[in-house]
Amino acid sequence: MKILIQLRQSIFLFSALFLLSFNIQSQSADEGAKLFKANCGSCHAIDQKVVGPALKGVHNKYDEAWLLKWIKNSQELIKSGDSKAIKAFEENNKIVMTSFTNLTDEQVKLIIAFVKSESEKAPVAEVAASANVENVETEPLPSIIIWLLVIVSILLIAVIITMKKVMSIIGSAEDLAIFNWNEINATLLIIFLVVGLGASFWEFFVHGAFTVLATPAASEHGTIYDSMFSITLALTGIVFVITQILLFWYSYRYKHDPKRKALYYPDNHKLELIWTVIPALVLTVLVVRGLQTWSSITDRKQAESAQVIEVFGQQFSWIVRYAGADNKLGPHDFRQIGVVNTVGVDPKSQTSKDDIITSELHLKLGQPVVLKFRSRDVIHSAYLPHFRVQMNVVPGLPTQFTFTPTVTTASMRKTLNDPKFDYVILCNKICGAAHYRMTTTVIVESPEEYNKWLGEQPKLVPAATTSEKVQPGETKLLTQKN
Amino acid sequence: MSNQHLNNEDHNNHEGNDQHKQTFISKYVFSMDHKMIAKQFLITGIIMGCLGVLMSMVFRLQLAFPDTPFPFMENFMGHWAKDGRLDPSFYLALITIHGTIMVFYVLTAGLSGTFSNLLIPLQIGARDMASPLFNMLSYWFFLLSSLVLVSSLFVDGGPASSGWTIYPPLSALPTAISGSGMGMTLWLIAIILFVVSSLLGGVNYIATVINMRTLGMKMTRLPLTVWSFLLTAILGLLSFPVLLGAGLLLIFDRSFGTSFYLSDIPADLAGGIERVGGSPILFQHLFWFLGHPEVYIIILPALGITSEVLATNARKPIFGYRAMIGSMIAIAVLSFVVWGHHMFVTGMNPFLGSVFVLGTLIIAVPSAVKTFNYLATLWKGNLRLTPAMLFAIGLVSFFISGGLTGLFLGNAALDINLHDTYFVVAHFHIVMGSAAIFGMMSGIYHWYPKMFGRMMNSTLGYLHFWITFIAAYCVFFPMHFMGLAGVPRRYYAITAYDQFDVFVNMNVFITIAALIGGAAQLIFLFNFFYSIRKGKKAEQNPWESNTLEWTTPVERIHGNWPGEIPHVYRWPYDYSKPGALTDFIPQNIPDEGQTDPLEETKPPVHA
Repeated sequence: MKILIQLRQSIFLFSALFLLSFNIQSQSADEGAKLFKANCGSCHAIDQKVVGPALKGVHNKYDEAWLLKWIKNSQELIKSGDSKAIKAFEENNKIVMTSFTNLTDEQVKLIIAFVKSESEKAPVAEVAASANVENVETEPLPSIIIWLLVIVSILLIAVIITMKKVMSIIGSAEDLAIFNWNEINATLLIIFLVVGLGASFWEFFVHGAFTVLATPAASEHGTIYDSMFSITLALTGIVFVITQILLFWYSYRYKHDPKRKALYYPDNHKLELIWTVIPALVLTVLVVRGLQTWSSITDRKQAESAQVIEVFGQQFSWIVRYAGADNKLGPHDFRQIGVVNTVGVDPKSQTSKDDIITSELHLKLGQPVVLKFRSRDVIHSAYLPHFRVQMNVVPGLPTQFTFTPTVTTASMRKTLNDPKFDYVILCNKICGAAHYRMTTTVIVESPEEYNKWLGEQPKLVPAATTSEKVQPGETKLLTQKN
Repeated sequence: MSNQHLNNEDHNNHEGNDQHKQTFISKYVFSMDHKMIAKQFLITGIIMGCLGVLMSMVFRLQLAFPDTPFPFMENFMGHWAKDGRLDPSFYLALITIHGTIMVFYVLTAGLSGTFSNLLIPLQIGARDMASPLFNMLSYWFFLLSSLVLVSSLFVDGGPASSGWTIYPPLSALPTAISGSGMGMTLWLIAIILFVVSSLLGGVNYIATVINMRTLGMKMTRLPLTVWSFLLTAILGLLSFPVLLGAGLLLIFDRSFGTSFYLSDIPADLAGGIERVGGSPILFQHLFWFLGHPEVYIIILPALGITSEVLATNARKPIFGYRAMIGSMIAIAVLSFVVWGHHMFVTGMNPFLGSVFVLGTLIIAVPSAVKTFNYLATLWKGNLRLTPAMLFAIGLVSFFISGGLTGLFLGNAALDINLHDTYFVVAHFHIVMGSAAIFGMMSGIYHWYPKMFGRMMNSTLGYLHFWITFIAAYCVFFPMHFMGLAGVPRRYYAITAYDQFDVFVNMNVFITIAALIGGAAQLIFLFNFFYSIRKGKKAEQNPWESNTLEWTTPVERIHGNWPGEIPHVYRWPYDYSKPGALTDFIPQNIPDEGQTDPLEETKPPVHA
């Protein structure tokens, strides 16, 4: 009986894999591009070194069988003593390349094909790229800055070399007291106050416009967040201006004067009571408002009626899994990651059947969603600044965040007057060498667009096999985590 | 009474200064004299500080010009900067070691190690520390720890690169990042040695302050510096062992296959052993249980120094002496119940988060009291704007600016969108980094005559202050706006994101300001080392200060006072007291009719 079940399992698995690979093969070359973007793009580019080396012409340097082994598990290849592998590893500062055991051979071949086609058309792309980015990337250091730095350093060196002379001059000048340094410093302090406050306000209006706070939040709780932020900003802003003015004004006003004697004023309980109670009251406002905001954002009841989406983090990419029509994510097991599929989800469980795995996060406008986070390796943090959403993604510890997107990508592009704008998930917890490139696009769209897009995505288990009955108890292999 | 006994005995030993011959080794190297140990801490701290600052210059260049190769870098960083391009994983190594050096080696050992050692015995009226041997060991453990950390820069795979907070699993899995190999092991060894050093110092400071005060030096007559050192030592004593524990468990996870901090890690990522059942968040709790008090371990001594420098140079008593002590105690106690505010987005229970919000924002009250008391101290003073005074004023300014942004980050709701962005970088570099460095500078300029018997050049001091002050604000203030735009910290480059392109110019500006600020430290270094030999000879009490260290001779003898230790008759802040002839009255001067504390301690004579 047991053998029979196992046999059935393996047949089932085999057929699932076969269908999956069939699916993939039938897709066009831009599947390779997609795979490259989702799996390789955070560390590699065709023409330039990013975290890993440039991939141009890599298909000529190594044969396909070797590349397959390397991509799937480079460490194993290095350990086996392969000289090419050891050389490649050492040439790149022994940075360990992520193992892609989760990719099928066909997928890797698609990626290699994509790299090959890109390498061959690279000269054209290069011209286009250089024309494109001329003003930003290929521009050398602004020459004025170079010269400024050179001049400053020459001056410094000159000063240091002649320091002895300078010292004797300064020394004698000090004795002569040509400068009343107390006066000069006091004046500089007041100038600093005026210029500094002016610069702060200038920055606030100029650079403040770059911040997400200058654009309305794209989520429901984001507006509550923004009002809490404004209150805090107003209160602290007032305190900042008053106390800085007092500090520098007193320092200027009460500068040393030999004719004057300081006031002996060691204590005043009334004053101290005042400036204990007033901050306490202000802080009470902040605490009460803050906790109201916090509990409304983190209220777990919201999650009960929300659409479930899993965001899976791994070095250095995000994978999104939709729960499908049943709004239930299939069970997963970290041991099965890369064995049965990318995210280690049990394909036999009833709840997994309709799950959908994608590399972009699409959200339906106005639909409350609960993002459930899971990590394969280290701690990541999913940060969606425009939605005022952030949650750590911790291996072995399920976390989640519930929110409702309220502005579509299209209308945000209009508001920002930037046709290329996209919402993003950034990784915001240091996670390895390519941490700074670990990202994916978030798209908020109307229900129609969303449904259309989701319909185009392949299900985890292709429809043909879902009809197969699953024995109860088979899912026990995999632990339920959600 | 036993105090008096001890002191008299000491006094006999040391009368006639240096009867026992001192060799070069026992005087300068294995010294047990607290003043020499203070200098050792300071100079080691300065050297480590230079290293930390240089690292920041390298990664600031990378941040400002991510696509420009700097061929000169290859000369000293070798394969980590092939063709002049900094390697992304070495960028992470640089920020990690920069953070570690600045937080532990400069602002903990360099600041508190220097001034606690120098000032505690001198200001309380003691011949030396309770245990000079412990004191010496404390320095040598610190030096050893520094050497181990520096040596980790040269090992295969590079130094630790998972951020100074070394969160596992990144720090636990060598496959996750190249720095988590040998580099991480050395980092952990260095920190363990550091904790030992810090504990040896801490018990010593506490014992000395409690047991060895001179006659008449009641706790309510202690200078605020000593109070701050005492509280700092208590904080360290209670929190550093937790870091030690956290580090040991991490060593087990890394080297012996345990799973304290690891869960759901498949065998191929974790050295062939599947890891289940631990929690990466546990490490964060343990780390921040030290990590948060640590920021007060850094800032309290700086605030203590500021209190002393402000009062002395304003020629005015510190306003609200008891309130200052009270607020420091409040800060110290509260600092143990707020560590969770570093972890609001780890998925912690929202209710627990609320508790940490409450605690965190309550700390703002004693901090506000301190600020207002500083302002009240300046009010109607007679301010001598010496370099030390300017740095102290700068500290207050930073303390306000950085303290206020803490109210954003300490509020869990607001932290959601600010956590781990440049807003955080701006916040702690202002309130903990700049403010504490300014406190340290203030202390160096103020007590330099006590350490070296000479004065630092004040004109260079002014220059140093102004360039550093302006540069520090230019570097860190704009970072708030990057944070508000959602720019994450610890990013090698932000060029992959079109929406951050607006900050290209700001990054260039910040880097130039940082380079200028860094260059200004050369002025300080020159002034510091030049003045050791060539500075103007110091007078005994150059700032006309009240505290006891200025009653010791300029020669800085072993045992501190050539004769009897002075007795104390008053608090340390009698500046510009009405009716007095001078505008200061040192603590060892009795008022008319005041009896010697020695008499007070004798049992009353019955007729």
